[in-house]
Amino acid sequence: MLTEYPLLTILILLPLAGCLALLPLWNCRVSARPVALGVALLELVLSAWLYGSWRELTPLQAKLPGYLLVEDAPWIPAFGIRYTLGLDGISLLMVLLTSFTFCIALLVSWNSIKEKTALFLTLMLTMEAGIMGVFLALDLALFYLFWEVMLIPMFFLIGIWGHGRKIYSTIKFFLFTMFGSLLMLLAIIALQLLHAKQTGITTFGLHELLKTQLPADTQLWLFAAFFLAFAIKFPLFPLHTWLPDAHTDAPTAGSVVLAGLLLKTGSYGLIRFGYPLFPLAAQTLTPLFYTLALIGIIYASLVAFAQEDMKRLIAYSSIAHMGYVAIGIAAWQPVALSGSILQMANHGVTTGALFCLVGMLDERAHTREIAAFGGLWGKIPQYSFFFLFFSLASLGLPGLNNFVGEFLVLAGTMKKAPLVAALAFIGIVLTLIYTVRLVQEVIFQEERQPLALADLTPRELLILAVLAVVDVWMGVHPAPLLDLIHGPVQLLTGGGL
Amino acid sequence: MSQADVYALMPLLILAGGSVLVLLAGALKPGGYLYELAGALITAALLWSLLLPDMAVMPGLTITPFSRFFWVFLDAAGLVALLLATGYNRRRGITGEEYPATLLFALAGMGAACAASDLLMLFLGLEAFTFAFYILVAIKRDSVKGGEAGLKYLLNGTLSAAIMGMGMALLYAATGTLKLSGLALAANHPEALFLAGTCLVLLGMAFKLSLAPAHLWTADVYQGAPAPVTALLSTASKGASLAALLLVLPLFGAWHGLRDLLWALALFSMLAGNFAALRQSSLKRMLAWSSVGQMGYVALALVAAPSGGLRAALFYIVVYATAGLAAFGALSALSDRFEPDRLDDYRGLGYRCPLAGISLAVAMFSLAGIPPTAGFIGKFGVFNAALRQGETTLAIIGILAALVAVFFYLRVVVMLYMKPAVDSGELRSPGFSEIIALAVATAATLLLGIYPQPLLDLLAKILI
Repeated sequence: MLTEYPLLTILILLPLAGCLALLPLWNCRVSARPVALGVALLELVLSAWLYGSWRELTPLQAKLPGYLLVEDAPWIPAFGIRYTLGLDGISLLMVLLTSFTFCIALLVSWNSIKEKTALFLTLMLTMEAGIMGVFLALDLALFYLFWEVMLIPMFFLIGIWGHGRKIYSTIKFFLFTMFGSLLMLLAIIALQLLHAKQTGITTFGLHELLKTQLPADTQLWLFAAFFLAFAIKFPLFPLHTWLPDAHTDAPTAGSVVLAGLLLKTGSYGLIRFGYPLFPLAAQTLTPLFYTLALIGIIYASLVAFAQEDMKRLIAYSSIAHMGYVAIGIAAWQPVALSGSILQMANHGVTTGALFCLVGMLDERAHTREIAAFGGLWGKIPQYSFFFLFFSLASLGLPGLNNFVGEFLVLAGTMKKAPLVAALAFIGIVLTLIYTVRLVQEVIFQEERQPLALADLTPRELLILAVLAVVDVWMGVHPAPLLDLIHGPVQLLTGGGL
Repeated sequence: MSQADVYALMPLLILAGGSVLVLLAGALKPGGYLYELAGALITAALLWSLLLPDMAVMPGLTITPFSRFFWVFLDAAGLVALLLATGYNRRRGITGEEYPATLLFALAGMGAACAASDLLMLFLGLEAFTFAFYILVAIKRDSVKGGEAGLKYLLNGTLSAAIMGMGMALLYAATGTLKLSGLALAANHPEALFLAGTCLVLLGMAFKLSLAPAHLWTADVYQGAPAPVTALLSTASKGASLAALLLVLPLFGAWHGLRDLLWALALFSMLAGNFAALRQSSLKRMLAWSSVGQMGYVALALVAAPSGGLRAALFYIVVYATAGLAAFGALSALSDRFEPDRLDDYRGLGYRCPLAGISLAVAMFSLAGIPPTAGFIGKFGVFNAALRQGETTLAIIGILAALVAVFFYLRVVVMLYMKPAVDSGELRSPGFSEIIALAVATAATLLLGIYPQPLLDLLAKILI
């Protein structure tokens, strides 16, 4: 049986082993790319296997309820830090999303990264390992480690292969994230000390710390620090300003990973750590959370409408879409939370696809100005089809994936906070407006600049077709994914399994 | 002095005697294998301290696991600095036997300071290595900056030595003894004279550790000294000074003012160092100011001494030293007949000289406290101790200052990898000894970040 192996560790180490395999091919761009892609595919196969057999994996009822696989070993006993990894339904969905997104990101940057390719691939694989770790870690110190480790490759990715004001953007990205993280680090240490004071045991293990009895005001301080770190990643208004810059100036693969995965680490952290550890404080701050999410949805949609740069527009739409995820978490109710988690995956796929599309257009026309295009439907029909398809998915067309997530979020929130749900509907209308404008100006309308554009290459067609199939599958038949996260969501929101 | 005592003292004897030996050898056969000889002597001292765990008590010196640990640490740092200096000095025309001989002498002084059991020996050790550094800083005789730095260091250093000497005189006047153990007994009922003495000694130590407000010499000296000298000055000398400070800490007894003093030193150093470093355009000056900030975190750990802060401080100084050696090592490996000084000179160097680039980048990430480098574990330990001690305010200020620091450390990485090089083409690749030195320092910085437990265990053992 495969489960005898430390599969979760393999998930993290496999990309790092891939980095080592790249070393001998450092100056050979042609052979380095397939090696990296092969590693990413292997990772995808492994996570797909985990997904395929999650029902058969022995549920670890006795040790940790809801978890399918757990690995645990001492790491730094002097500080009570353990190497604890755990896989439950939510992590599994995120692991699946991660390995899938990295395959897409590597494929989409196949030709566009012309310089220092091996370095690029190494950084991508390192980042994959870091993100896997974030989604698997169950020890707060270990989580923090991975949380920071995944930043470094992204810092280089934007800074080296980015466009425009790339250095400004990448430093801004790094400092914003560090600001929240450092305060969270203090909160993690403080939580551990409080736990040690109560029980005499020094540990950073999530499931031990969950038992800590905390007075309401202490909870509030600690939660505030966690919330800040996660809200910056989310990003919630008014902490979002790094995101448009980072997205716009990142290379396509960077944007895909940023939108598809890095933003999700924020929402994932809130679901896994923030809310369960500090339930009282979370309840107190729920109105604030709702308000920021709503402002984010409406503000980002309006700003998106005014954008001239397609990538920036999609970046702002990302903020709006993540607002729904935020509302679903804030409601902390089984339906809404399932919707949020599903929406995390949906947004990763759809927005990732949109960034791929913009990247492909940028490679051809060397501009992302909306005003430069128009009439693409007649010139590059395949491309335009996918552009329209993913735009429709992004605005929540029933039958495609975003609809399911947003519907569940709003349906669940309606029970808890009808006013919030009602206001969030406004956001959907606004999404419609800016998306229609984008599609109308780029795809339809008259041609504004005579650009010689070629239609999709087989590689690009493959990327987009796969993404579209996943989109439709998640939209038409989300039940298996909902089954996957059902158990953990019930446990988190206080129901039994 | 028995034979066992001599054995225990051997590492110091090797270094001190070796210093004379190198001088003689240089006089007899100029241009011989002096660096190799010095390297062999340091290695011998290193191995001796590592392999022969003797304890000994003799007049003025007590050799304990604590001092042996520091000997190993200092000799290792000295060896790396010597390896860096071989190539660097050849390129920049620093010849003669003075350099290796003085380096050995400095190591001997540091070793004595870490093992002192009375104030006289402590003073002797500290001033011996500081004296050696006066020479090393100004060793390039035709360099204006080096001369200026040497003079500034000499003036400041003499002042601090005078202050520390005065403090020791007051302590002697108050108690009639120079023995640390005797003084620690007197600390239970301190009189004003005694307290004044301890405070003056602390101020002298603050100078050696470049803690604000006794830090003003740091930037000029770091910038003016040759890079391998700065590498040693910013790592080993800091380590030895910290060891000396730990030896005199019992003199404060339970006096609550110590906490306030250290608190203020930590606060000023973290803020002054990190904010001043923001504004520097010279890489060495920036690193100098940043080391003031880094020492602030050591002081923060000392504030939290009752809650495991001592181990945190020692761990921090070790990881700071590995990162410092990697950083200044990269600088010295990148220098040709001239040292690139401005930050702008490092544009694109990460590609033109990959090993030095990686070393410098890893060092920057470690100093910034970003995992998986050792700097993260160091900061983690310091903040863990500080919060356990209840120093929440200082911890929050410290962590925000660390955020400021992230910015200027990243700027170096940006220069190395994200700015186009001024002129392309491979640089002269570093020599064999430099490759070894850089690889060791960088690997240690990464290893201690991933697997710090053995060092943490060792530190817990020597602090008993």
